[in-house]
Amino acid sequence: MHIPDGYLSPSTCVVMYVGAAAGWYAALKRLKRVLITRMVPLISVFAAFAFVVMMFNIPLPGGTTGHALGVTAAAIVLGPSGAVLAISIAIAIQALFFGDGGILTLGANCLNMAIVGSVVAYAGYRAVAGTAAPTSRRRVIAAGVAGYLAANASGLASAVELGIQPLLFHNAQGAPLYAPYPLRIAIPAIMIGHLTFAGLAEAVLSAGIVAYLQASDPGLLEVALGSVSAEGEKTAGGGQRWNLLRRLWLVVAMLTLLAPLGILAAGTAWGEWSRTELTQHASHPAIGGGSSMSASAGLQKLTELWTAPFPGYAPKFVKSPSFGYVLSAMFGVGLLLGGSLVLQSWLDRRRSTRPLG
Amino acid sequence: MSGFLEATALNLTRAIGRALTSEEIARRRGLLQALDPRVRLLGVLALVIAVTLSRKPMVVATLLTLAIVLALLSRVSLATLAKRVWLVVFFFTATIALPALFVTPGRAVWRAPVGAVQITGAGLYTAALLVLRVETAVTFTTLLVLCTPWSHVLKALRSLGLPQELIAMLAMTHRYVFLLTETAGQMLESRRSRTVGALRGALQRQMVTRSAGVLMSKSFILSEEVYQAMLSRGFAGDVRLLPDFQMRRGDYAALAGVIVVGVAAVWWGR
Amino acid sequence: MSPIFELRDVCFDYEHTPALRGLSLQVEPGESIALLGANGSGKSTLLRLLDALCFPSRGTVTFDGEVLGPRLFQRNGPSHAFRRRVGLVFQNPDVQLFNPTVLDEVAFGPLQLEWTREQVLGKVEEALELMRIAYLRDRPPYRLSGGEKKRVALASIVVLDPEVLLLDEPTSMLDPRSQSEIIDLIHQWKDSSKTVITATHQLEMVEDIATRVVVLEEGRVAASGVPAQILSDQDLLLRANLVHAHRHSHGALSHSHPHRHSHTSHEHEH
Repeated sequence: MHIPDGYLSPSTCVVMYVGAAAGWYAALKRLKRVLITRMVPLISVFAAFAFVVMMFNIPLPGGTTGHALGVTAAAIVLGPSGAVLAISIAIAIQALFFGDGGILTLGANCLNMAIVGSVVAYAGYRAVAGTAAPTSRRRVIAAGVAGYLAANASGLASAVELGIQPLLFHNAQGAPLYAPYPLRIAIPAIMIGHLTFAGLAEAVLSAGIVAYLQASDPGLLEVALGSVSAEGEKTAGGGQRWNLLRRLWLVVAMLTLLAPLGILAAGTAWGEWSRTELTQHASHPAIGGGSSMSASAGLQKLTELWTAPFPGYAPKFVKSPSFGYVLSAMFGVGLLLGGSLVLQSWLDRRRSTRPLG
Repeated sequence: MSGFLEATALNLTRAIGRALTSEEIARRRGLLQALDPRVRLLGVLALVIAVTLSRKPMVVATLLTLAIVLALLSRVSLATLAKRVWLVVFFFTATIALPALFVTPGRAVWRAPVGAVQITGAGLYTAALLVLRVETAVTFTTLLVLCTPWSHVLKALRSLGLPQELIAMLAMTHRYVFLLTETAGQMLESRRSRTVGALRGALQRQMVTRSAGVLMSKSFILSEEVYQAMLSRGFAGDVRLLPDFQMRRGDYAALAGVIVVGVAAVWWGR
Repeated sequence: MSPIFELRDVCFDYEHTPALRGLSLQVEPGESIALLGANGSGKSTLLRLLDALCFPSRGTVTFDGEVLGPRLFQRNGPSHAFRRRVGLVFQNPDVQLFNPTVLDEVAFGPLQLEWTREQVLGKVEEALELMRIAYLRDRPPYRLSGGEKKRVALASIVVLDPEVLLLDEPTSMLDPRSQSEIIDLIHQWKDSSKTVITATHQLEMVEDIATRVVVLEEGRVAASGVPAQILSDQDLLLRANLVHAHRHSHGALSHSHPHRHSHTSHEHEH
């Protein structure tokens, strides 16, 4: 969904812009390396296609219609970097020229739909399609699944961004300054629409486009970035799969890293909005059960961080030390994975710039 | 039933219609049109930031008044703004904000005679602030778009530091949006005219996704041909544009004025 | 005089289907050639090869003594020189109008070739005047009519003052007045020192625009000669799918024989 101006605080917008800029920079760098001259016309026309496709009313089961993003089709045909840029540009045109969507929230919208959407779509598609032939039915199913996942991932991202607004930005009396609904309302409200209409529309569109291309122009389904070459540019086919794997790991890393933070936010929000909390305050004593572990003080502190904000009436397991440890472990794994990915890519870059022979 | 085809066609023609009215307004002689496009861009950005930073609905309402004044001075009629911005934004934002009246915790200012329904002061504040913010921000952005030809927006962005590949892509995308919209419109029309009677769901979906597929194939061919046309005129990877704008005294004054207004609004509304 | 273009046994495949099969041709400087052939005969492919937008899979294309190949275009100097000397006008003007305004479009070529700002603006004005489109200077391409688009496309090539002009179906989809304007223009070029190669399947204009006619059939040169000679060879024209023979009536008489429909009247002899 396109978030208009006014729903996100300026600091949120800045953070989102920074995140989006990182994604744009990475995509631009990768594309320039592979498609020096062809990039501009290819991405532009594709962005125009995405823009137009976003206006299609897609009939869904049950007599309803929905709108799709087109991000999955873009990711399948152009690869994730191309899709990131094409969808971002479509969103920018919508905001700057047609006045649909905010300009301060442009970073957030691009992060949700173009970046998260493209990565999830591409990873999902490759994961389900595996090594199936370009014209096999499995690819159509993969496209549908990927579309559904991508639409919901981007919906979830916007839901989280909107849902943490009242938590972080409210006035002295507690009234929210921007998006007014906390996570426990925002997430279901937005996800219901995505799990049904938007997700299905994207799934239907992506599967339909792949099916059509299989019949009319299967070559396009093999246009992953590496093989779109002109004037003898080198193909990077070998690097393709490796990048996919890395991307999948990156997604896993981010999820494990963010999940504890998300739960933390949810827990705190939960605490803020429950009626009993209006009288009590959000600061709770540390774990009541007392730790029978001889864990280091640091780990214990971390554990308390996760579990402390939950109100007294939260289910037992949430307040237990073991849950806290699980969350700490997730956080640690996420850090490790992310760190190793960064280290890996740094090492690769060093290897590739070293002269041969 | 082909309601979805009509709905799509409507979306497409509306998009084009808006673009064309923008062009016409951009050519009128008004206040905003007279300013350097960079000042317009930065000014609107600053004002939208001010709108987003202010915490008092009164302040935001004042900024909205400012937007209306600017609109009138730039020969943009209030009817245009109402039709394009206010009604639509109000409908959507109010729908979203309505529950907040009841759900936001705080002191109640109204209680329903039956049930536990109440409207809180905090809820009113939040809802009002949200609606005002969105209306004002979108008004400013729309004014920018209405009063500035697209090529100027691009050149302003370029001279403010955006990379030239990005500008080239924005330019070209915009240009081909119109072509693809026409193509899509024609395809849908021809399918509509060939449809006799109501279609069942799966066939409907197939019709739409096939149109999208055809559009994508055409997009590829188009991009290939545009690429060749660019090569033919000497393109070798770096896009070069004509730089254009000169700042005049009035522009500096306007920029200064906007900054003052923005800072004042933020300070007053903190 | 050495030929300006020399093609030897050129083969080119378009997605696994052969478009050109061993084509050989020589073009002398100053010639004005009408390239005739039905759709699919390879005309557009040949023009693209002449403009070095693609390279043959077998055989050689030589321009002014140098073989055209990817290595030649890897350095800016030789690449710019070629792009300036040879200009191609595409059949579909939309692929050639990819800039925000007409002015930007005509300026694109000179800017890519790294002329100075003054040079660019000066030449652009000349080209706009020549094609009588100065009043369209600030127009975006989606607000141009078919004839206007063609003239902008021509202006964007003419601004570089190329030695060689390659025209792909220049009069297609134009109203009669625009068509005759284009024909007049090509006629002027025919009498100048420029080399012009016009791909067309409209036989009526051939005599006005060409000193030589080359007929393509299935990716090869089927015939080459002066207009009078080629146009009177009905068998050749029929084989090359440039004329048709269908049943038609004159009052009570109904028969079928090779003929063509000219733009003035339908005339033939019995």
